[in-house]
Amino acid sequence: MSTIKQKPAAERKKSKSIWTESFRRLLKNKTAVFSACFLILMFLFSFVGPLLSPYGADAMDVTLMKYPPSLFHWLGTDDYGRDVLTRLMTAGQISLTVGLASMVLSLVLGALLGAIAGYYGGIVDSMIMRIADILLSIPSLPLLIIIAALLSEFKVPTDYRIYIVMMMISFVGWPRLARLIRGQILSLREQMYIKAADVLGLSSRRKIFHHLLPNTYPLLIVVATLQTAAGILNESTLSFLGLGVVAPTATWGNMITIANNLIDFQKRPWLWIPPGMAIFLTVVAINVLGDAIRDVLDPKMKGR
Amino acid sequence: MRKKQFSFISLLLVAVLILSACASGGAKPGTASSKAEQATKVADTKDQYIKATDPGKSPETANNRTDTFVANISEPGGVFVPYFYDNGWDENAIQPIFARLVAIDEKGNPVPDLAEKWEVSPDNLTYTYHLRKNVKFSDGSPVTADDVAFTLTLLDDPQYTSSVIDISTAEIKGADDYKKGNATSISGIKVIDAGTIQITTEKANPLNLTLLGGYILSKEYYGKDYKKGQLDYLKALYSKPMGAGPYKFDQYVNGQEIRYTANENYYGGKPKIEHLIFKITAKTTALQTFQAGETDLDSFTTDQDTLDQLQALGFANIKIRTVPDYGYIYVNNKKSYLKDTTVRQALTYGLDRQKIIDVKYKGYGEVANVFTAPTLWSYTEDGVTKYNFDPDKAKQLLDTEGWKVGSDGIRTKDGQRLKLSYLTTKPDDQIIPIAKENYKDIGIEFVPEVLDANTMFSRLTKGDYDLLSVRTNGLIDPNDSVAEFASDKPDLNVSGYSNPKVDALIKEGISTVDEAKRKETYKKLYQELSNDPPVILIDYRKSIAAWNARIEGAENYATGNYDSAIALSKLSIKQ
Amino acid sequence: MRFIRDSGMPAENKRGVPVKKYVLKRFLQMIPILLGISLLIFFLFAMMPGDYFSSNRKLTPERLNELRALYGLNKPVIERYFIWLKNAFHGDFGFSLQHMLPVTTLINRYIWNSFIISFVALFFTWALALVIGVYSATKQYSFFDKLVTLGVFASLSVPSFFIGLMMIKFFGVDLHILPIGGMLDTGSNSVGFAYLLEVLRHMIMPVAILTILSVGSLTRYFRTGMLDVLRMDFIRTARAKGLKERTVIFRHALRNALLPAITLLAFELPGLFSGAIITEQIFGWPGIGKIQLDALNARDYPVLMTLTMFLSFLTIFGNFLADVMYAAADPRIRIAKKE
Repeated sequence: MSTIKQKPAAERKKSKSIWTESFRRLLKNKTAVFSACFLILMFLFSFVGPLLSPYGADAMDVTLMKYPPSLFHWLGTDDYGRDVLTRLMTAGQISLTVGLASMVLSLVLGALLGAIAGYYGGIVDSMIMRIADILLSIPSLPLLIIIAALLSEFKVPTDYRIYIVMMMISFVGWPRLARLIRGQILSLREQMYIKAADVLGLSSRRKIFHHLLPNTYPLLIVVATLQTAAGILNESTLSFLGLGVVAPTATWGNMITIANNLIDFQKRPWLWIPPGMAIFLTVVAINVLGDAIRDVLDPKMKGR
Repeated sequence: MRKKQFSFISLLLVAVLILSACASGGAKPGTASSKAEQATKVADTKDQYIKATDPGKSPETANNRTDTFVANISEPGGVFVPYFYDNGWDENAIQPIFARLVAIDEKGNPVPDLAEKWEVSPDNLTYTYHLRKNVKFSDGSPVTADDVAFTLTLLDDPQYTSSVIDISTAEIKGADDYKKGNATSISGIKVIDAGTIQITTEKANPLNLTLLGGYILSKEYYGKDYKKGQLDYLKALYSKPMGAGPYKFDQYVNGQEIRYTANENYYGGKPKIEHLIFKITAKTTALQTFQAGETDLDSFTTDQDTLDQLQALGFANIKIRTVPDYGYIYVNNKKSYLKDTTVRQALTYGLDRQKIIDVKYKGYGEVANVFTAPTLWSYTEDGVTKYNFDPDKAKQLLDTEGWKVGSDGIRTKDGQRLKLSYLTTKPDDQIIPIAKENYKDIGIEFVPEVLDANTMFSRLTKGDYDLLSVRTNGLIDPNDSVAEFASDKPDLNVSGYSNPKVDALIKEGISTVDEAKRKETYKKLYQELSNDPPVILIDYRKSIAAWNARIEGAENYATGNYDSAIALSKLSIKQ
Repeated sequence: MRFIRDSGMPAENKRGVPVKKYVLKRFLQMIPILLGISLLIFFLFAMMPGDYFSSNRKLTPERLNELRALYGLNKPVIERYFIWLKNAFHGDFGFSLQHMLPVTTLINRYIWNSFIISFVALFFTWALALVIGVYSATKQYSFFDKLVTLGVFASLSVPSFFIGLMMIKFFGVDLHILPIGGMLDTGSNSVGFAYLLEVLRHMIMPVAILTILSVGSLTRYFRTGMLDVLRMDFIRTARAKGLKERTVIFRHALRNALLPAITLLAFELPGLFSGAIITEQIFGWPGIGKIQLDALNARDYPVLMTLTMFLSFLTIFGNFLADVMYAAADPRIRIAKKE
């Protein structure tokens, strides 16, 4: 909203008050506050937690391999005798960042391009949608192998690769959301209130951001929650191509895949329940928060 | 309404936590540590054979198959003609159908198959094979020396494209003229009579006896339309194999199983079990498939948990054998900072290989110290330097070489930081966390990278790596594992290792076929290689195979071995 | 409602482009796009490090050069592309290096196995998601809705192989009512109806897994779409008119809520033929997913190229169909106009 300056002062004031008003209403919504607090707690757990742990995340103890939860290791140890709780915390640093960042990036790209294509139609629509077709047609696995090779060729430090890759994935992943949003915008554009906005002579930008996109918000929340979960789990799939996080760095995704056989799955639930719960709770919190924000913002809800 | 949702989530959370606590409480504390102790002790035991405790528990599904033996196979490609597949599993698939001239036992020794005996000339250049009397293909036609000649000619055809065998290494006399010139036959292959063939080579090579004595194709069946330089006609026969092995091909159910029936014309007599099935199983569910009786024999992941479960089945005979290969880390000798022997020695001393093996095999692996597999006849630890984990020694070696610890804890020399890249194909490579910790301790920065196999191997051949983790192929001859360290074969020698003494010993090793003499040579070679290590040796490993006790004689059978067909023909089912 | 169709046309129509012309134009656009994609993909594959022979460490360098020359791998990429294109136009998609089979034979042999489980799973996924999604939406924040929501997120938080392994253990080993893997019983010679039954029995678990995997997210889409529509003015109007709730939901709301589904359904088209790698692997289902992954790992270019182009075509064709369907019918507009 850097272009806000161009707007007449009165309008700016008005739109600002809408935002503060919404925020105030959001604060009144207990579920939203709780979810937000939970997410903040998750971040604290991940970023501050390890400092309080007596164990290093990568510190091994071969005498204590796959040891069940005890007073010393609250969540047990993994196959190298590393403390699961500590690893769960450090893993959160990467998984939360990767999950949320990839979600935001693909949402912004997908929503924006989809809205533009749907709103303007014609040649703009054709261009964006044909590019979307091409991107949708490119098989992701070979593309990722090439990216892996290139990153390796240019000696990009392994710790940063995951972020670059996540950006690339969001970049090639926007077409799906864009097509969904475009479809909605196509219908919304024909509705009464947009026709009314046309008559009022509102600017295109205003129509897109204030009238069209907010109506696709429910869809965006769904995509946001699904995308966050997918982002966190995808990271572990990527590590098979050397694009994910390289061991011994922990992520929720690679922690869960350690227990990849029936024996560990049945006999050692402390290996996979903690990371599974972490992903689950994060996704639920994002969804609940998203729903609450929608209820607060939704223009159609105002009358109720 | 909202409050309800919130409380519901917290309720669920509590429930899950209790559930997980219960589940973990169920596993008695203490079992894990005692198991780890037990595991380290098992590490030095030899091959084990655990007999079934209660064969009566064999599942009904298996017992109902009174005339069928079901073994596992991984991923056949569907090309069922020896030498023409590119997929190693297809070789497993054709082994019951095609007999070899000379089979190879587990230790790498030649065993008579279609040839009952053979002679090698004193200069080790001429091989004479004598076929068994009255030996027949499964269609009833006789196996003759012409078939052997045809098979070897086919492999030298200019259009022969498979990468599975390279007959040119045998250096048969006149093979090059046939392949690249106008010759219409290979001068070094001579049919003496219907039952005798003589092959002359240009260079002594102990591998020739078995290389030339491979699977035999029928000239009448596969060579009717053969013209030099035209092999396309064979494609029509890929799915219709016919050979002289104990079983005949019946059907390949795509991606599912390969079915065979007993060959009544087999030289060893018709096998007792009428039907054989190689069923495609996945590693993840092999145990469940076996438990349900869908398979009679399979191989499993090597760890204590799997072994416990197999033993608990009661009806499983279990064999734990050492696999004829070893794992190692390539060290790029061409890099200025890795070309010194002392640095490579320090890298080996500084790595806790025992710990890697404990984590990786949980008791079913050993630290490797010799450049061959423990199963091979050439194996000896005599005079071989064992690099037991000793970080102080590693530090000291690096110090003497002039690598000084810098302010960041990483050693430097002449402005070069000791930062080593490590390439692997496995994201869960057990070497990574351990090496990272160990090497950091002695002042080396270890930077792991996971790549897909093709990318990694192209980096290896380009020499664009510091450290790179691999396993050898299954070793048959001692030369298989050491050939790559000869400095006069720069294309093969990807590590860039160079040691004149080693070069001479490698040559000496394949200059004779006398096993006793070779043994002496290899002993010296292993000593020299251990003193000036070209790479970091890591591990020998074991494999777990189990079969339903109703199958008798399976302790001698292992799918893929070069004598597996012979063992297969002797199996029987206990009724 | 039919009579409003003309005035209810979306964008293209409003600007005076008849639907037929739009469809034709849109169809013609697909051809250059497909050609462009084939070029792009060919280069992408060529850029992957290594080729079919590079990971085979048994080969001597001379033999490697010989083999590369025999298979034309030493030619420049652009030349190889045009050779491929020329052959493809003649219906010759090459020969798999790995399987030693014509690519079309290979693909034909496995792709239908994948198609059949994907298709059945797709059917169940959509049916279930529709029922659950709609029901959840009409009973928003009810116990059922919350249970479904939690179930959906739980299924998103656990990798698929866990669920697969549990099912095998439970149904295959413990209860012994379902086969553990494969498409047929070991050594089975059944034909006709018995064969069909056997395949069906083997299909149950893979189909169940595929359904569980995708039903979650689809439910979310349907639930949201439905919730969205239920808040619309015309639904209020319909309710105000005193229509039965059932009629409101099924006659009015559902039709509108299904509109975004057209886009989603288009995405499923290539998925029907692409195979499911993990599921196929766990259940030993002889599908195309594994063939594709192997081809990629082994750099078996002819197989990769043909499969990828086929899937690309389906992707683009699916989107084309979706666009045409959007252009042909947008019920929301009709109803909105009516009011």
